[in-house]
Amino acid sequence: MRRRKSMFPHRGASLGNIELSHDEIQEELEIDTRELVSDLIKLPTRARVQAIRALPMSYQERRYVRGRVVSVKHSKKRDLLPTCCTDCHQQTSLFFRRFAAGVVTARKRLVIWQDALKEISGRFGTSVLTYFRFLKWLLMFNFVSLLINFCFIAIPQIVHSPNVTYTVNFRGLELLTGAGYFTQSVFFYGGYNGAVVGNQPSYNMQLAYFFTIAAYLVLCGASLIYSMARSFQKNFVLVSGPTYGGAWRLLCSWDFSVVNEKAIQNHKNNLGIQLKETLSERLQRKATASTSTVLKRLTLYLLAWTLCVSLAVGSCAGIYFLQVEQSQNETQSTQVLINDLKEEASTLIVPVVVSLINLIVPLIFSLINKMEHYSNPRTNIYIGIMRNVLLKMSILAILCYYWVNDVPKQISCWETFVGQSVYRLVLVDFIFCLLGSFFGEFLLNIIGTKCFPSIGVPEFDIATNVLNLIYAQTLAWIGIYFSPLLPIIQVIKLFIIFYLKRVSVSMNCQPPKRTGRAAQMQTVYVALLFLPSFTGALSLVAYTVWSLKPSRQCGPFQGLDTPFQAVHQWMNTVQNIPGSEWAWWIFEHVLKSELFFYLITLIILVVTYLLWQITQGRKQLIQTLREQIVNEGKDKTFLLNRLQSIQKQRTVNAAFRPHEFTERTYFNQDWMNTLPLEM
Amino acid sequence: MGTTATKLPKDQLSEYQELTFLTKQEILLAHKRFTELLNRNDRQQINSRVPMSKICTLPELKSNPFQKRICHVFSTSEIKDGSLSFEDFLDLLSAFSDSATLEIKSHYAFRIFDFDDDGTLDYGDLEKLVNCLTGESADTKLTSEEMNQLINNILEESDIDKDGTVNLSEFQHVISRSPDFVSSFKIVL
Repeated sequence: MRRRKSMFPHRGASLGNIELSHDEIQEELEIDTRELVSDLIKLPTRARVQAIRALPMSYQERRYVRGRVVSVKHSKKRDLLPTCCTDCHQQTSLFFRRFAAGVVTARKRLVIWQDALKEISGRFGTSVLTYFRFLKWLLMFNFVSLLINFCFIAIPQIVHSPNVTYTVNFRGLELLTGAGYFTQSVFFYGGYNGAVVGNQPSYNMQLAYFFTIAAYLVLCGASLIYSMARSFQKNFVLVSGPTYGGAWRLLCSWDFSVVNEKAIQNHKNNLGIQLKETLSERLQRKATASTSTVLKRLTLYLLAWTLCVSLAVGSCAGIYFLQVEQSQNETQSTQVLINDLKEEASTLIVPVVVSLINLIVPLIFSLINKMEHYSNPRTNIYIGIMRNVLLKMSILAILCYYWVNDVPKQISCWETFVGQSVYRLVLVDFIFCLLGSFFGEFLLNIIGTKCFPSIGVPEFDIATNVLNLIYAQTLAWIGIYFSPLLPIIQVIKLFIIFYLKRVSVSMNCQPPKRTGRAAQMQTVYVALLFLPSFTGALSLVAYTVWSLKPSRQCGPFQGLDTPFQAVHQWMNTVQNIPGSEWAWWIFEHVLKSELFFYLITLIILVVTYLLWQITQGRKQLIQTLREQIVNEGKDKTFLLNRLQSIQKQRTVNAAFRPHEFTERTYFNQDWMNTLPLEM
Repeated sequence: MGTTATKLPKDQLSEYQELTFLTKQEILLAHKRFTELLNRNDRQQINSRVPMSKICTLPELKSNPFQKRICHVFSTSEIKDGSLSFEDFLDLLSAFSDSATLEIKSHYAFRIFDFDDDGTLDYGDLEKLVNCLTGESADTKLTSEEMNQLINNILEESDIDKDGTVNLSEFQHVISRSPDFVSSFKIVL
């Protein structure tokens, strides 16, 4: 099928150069069409439809080709088997094709925010669109988790709940702190109790809790790995190779989806200025930097990194000591007064401090980043992202350390406490996000347009916004075990953020000046979401389930040594059921044995090594093929030059001795007549 | 609007669905928008064409610097005036749709950028392309020296066989290295 491209040159434009008569062209085209039709007939029905659709011809020509294919097919059918069997087969395949098309249409209809996304890409281009797409993707994750958790954990508990007497009245502050009224609700771990809920069809709450959370996390991991791998394959593998310069990018730089008049004008101006910059840079780059400037720059980088790392470490330490001090206060005061409004409000201090750090320290980072003067803007962006991730993840790590190390020793129903802490963090982060887009974008816009026009309208900072989303999602994953209905908050939050950002972007911001590489950045974001974020949350939950002792007074796992023991007990009961000994055997000898995991790790390592070797081989192959192309090009120019010189010689010869020429060079003549056609 | 009088017959619709990358909804929307562009008298006829000037008034194409090239490439008009029939219009939308293959997209992108329709992107084509991209205002327009350098850079990086022009397969090779292309070569009604 590859040949098809060359078969149909652009409406005979290149054929026209070679002096062919009209009939000859017709004949040539007819042969081409016949070959194409015979190629298409060999394909299975679905592939054929796809192939015809993907022919680079006009609609009329495609219809013509399809008509010929169908007619040939029909005549063949009639010769072979005019039975009802083939007819039936055709009908079913037609039905399935229609069904598939219907499903595609339905799916397109169900997609939310289609118009909003179109409008955004029409004004801001595809790079800003990646942020909104990412947001939508996260929303989907949380929606799935909400559905699963609600169906398998919350509903059974609500239906069969033993009458919970609410000791506290609803006061309003609970919405922010998650304490008081909510403590006993199904929102948090502590609201679930009893190993088995319900009498007649008994529902094992422990197993339900364990397996639902596990299933959700596995689902998330699988879909993250899948989309990350696909994204890598699409956006990074192809890009490898000698990509110096970058002038070639101009050939594919125009964003056709942008339709807004002003945006297009902006885009053009930015592109023009950028081109001028890079051209002048290219000229300057020839002068190499001296050793002293290199040294100076290196010390600057070192200084910047130490400053950033120490800032991150300092804020982590601050948060940890604040937590510890607060919990000491709490344990002292609980004896005196339990339900004090002020006490409850003070729990909000830590989340507010965390969010403040998350807001302010990245600003300092970007200031530092500006001072460093990286020559490559991409390095600049990547380093900014790296530092922000370092800060956010170390803050989360210190919080998690506090939760699993200190909290279980101090508080009786510690899972609920952790759940509430996460809830507060999520909520306060949301409020700060609202305030951030108001002050950060709206006020800067006012300042930029009214007071100091030199600053200009702020750009929409995609990287920071995406990192905030990743941080919020990490919190949601961490909290999933301690507060199974946390996805509700996350869904609402993302929903509101979408509309808020949409308004904020279109009212306050201008599109980023340096665009491009949107797809690669998206891959980086998905990878970040997987590597520190998801794996971190997963390891925390896994550690809690496998090795921490659940609280004795509340929760579904009360009385067990670890939550995972619930599965042990269940397996022991399974062993007694006749016919399911194999399940027990697998559990006992495979899942619980170290040897099994050792072997699995070994196999994975071996497979990874093999795949790596294969990619290395492919890379070499690509290199060779590239060289081959270049050589072919050289051959072509050589042959063309040769041809020209021979032709010149021939005309000279023909002018002087016309009759001798025909006898002597008959061999060459043949070769020369065919060659121009091939070129 | 009175457009309900000219509905697409069902078999016609399914043929459109089979031969383009568009879904049923997209085809119906395209039909609606197309009939709005037609004169009242032409609406009843099947093969009526919309002139290029009218196509360019569509908000999706209005500000596009390549609007005329797009019309010319997709037009099957005999007199090469860039007017589009409904089928040409569908072809356009299909090539610019989400589900079109990279091969189709790069093929049409090449033809759009090939201003003189000679099957290769030569120096003149690239110059016109860069001018379209940067606009005509004084401070962004490149000087002839800059232009010369830029085009030499482009050719140096993408002209693999060193014949001084970028042909279709070289262009597709370049495109395949830019993953953003598929998402940015997109026009949706």
